Amino acid sequence: MSAYRPEFEAALRLFARVSEAMHQRDLPRPILVGGAAAELYSTSALTTGDFDLCTPYQAELESELRAFGFVRPSGTGALLKGWIHPQLRLGFEVVADAPMDGSIDNAHIRLVQPIGESALFRVISVEDLIADRMGQYSSGTARDRIDQARLLLQLHPDADLEYLERRVRAESGGDYGVADVQG
Amino acid sequence: MALRTSKAETEAVIDMAELGARIAKRKAELGEPDLPRNSGANRTPSKRALLKAIKDAGGEW
Repeated sequence: MSAYRPEFEAALRLFARVSEAMHQRDLPRPILVGGAAAELYSTSALTTGDFDLCTPYQAELESELRAFGFVRPSGTGALLKGWIHPQLRLGFEVVADAPMDGSIDNAHIRLVQPIGESALFRVISVEDLIADRMGQYSSGTARDRIDQARLLLQLHPDADLEYLERRVRAESGGDYGVADVQG
Repeated sequence: MALRTSKAETEAVIDMAELGARIAKRKAELGEPDLPRNSGANRTPSKRALLKAIKDAGGEW
């Protein structure tokens, strides 16, 4: 029995197929970030149906999304940057060209094979995801994020602590490090 | 992290099923903790519009 929600698995299969289409065009696969990445690394039911992606090839990705049945929701005007899949009832949105303003080490971007699909997708590393949570905590915009960061590290005891230290320091302006995540 | 190498790729590939199983085992050891959902207080207008569209389409996440 899978640890993930069936709808989450289905969404990532679709994301992998869209990613594969980009790969076949010799374009980089988009990178999954945000709450969906946190769900992947925790199995907790976090995402609310919106999947945040990063790619510098937004126009090309949107062309592929249309080919896979995604549409712009009607009546939302220029406000909406996202795309919705009416049958699967989920949305993809390009939130940036690169994760975390391009500060991550590209060698740490992971490649994942979803359950029941041969196509692959890319996702931010758990170390960068933890650093992102610590950055939000440090900024004061989301003080509860340290709890997410701590639990993610507990769930991944094999995390690269040297890289994590560097990334948490960078995202928190030097205020926090691995020891703060470990609690 | 358990990795395998795809024939089509030169870098390691994470098997999502294995990843989920490993996390589930670790969660059991820790007493089944779950990450809380974000409050949503920092959502952009675009994100709020997308979530409304998903909900209007019948999405229940």
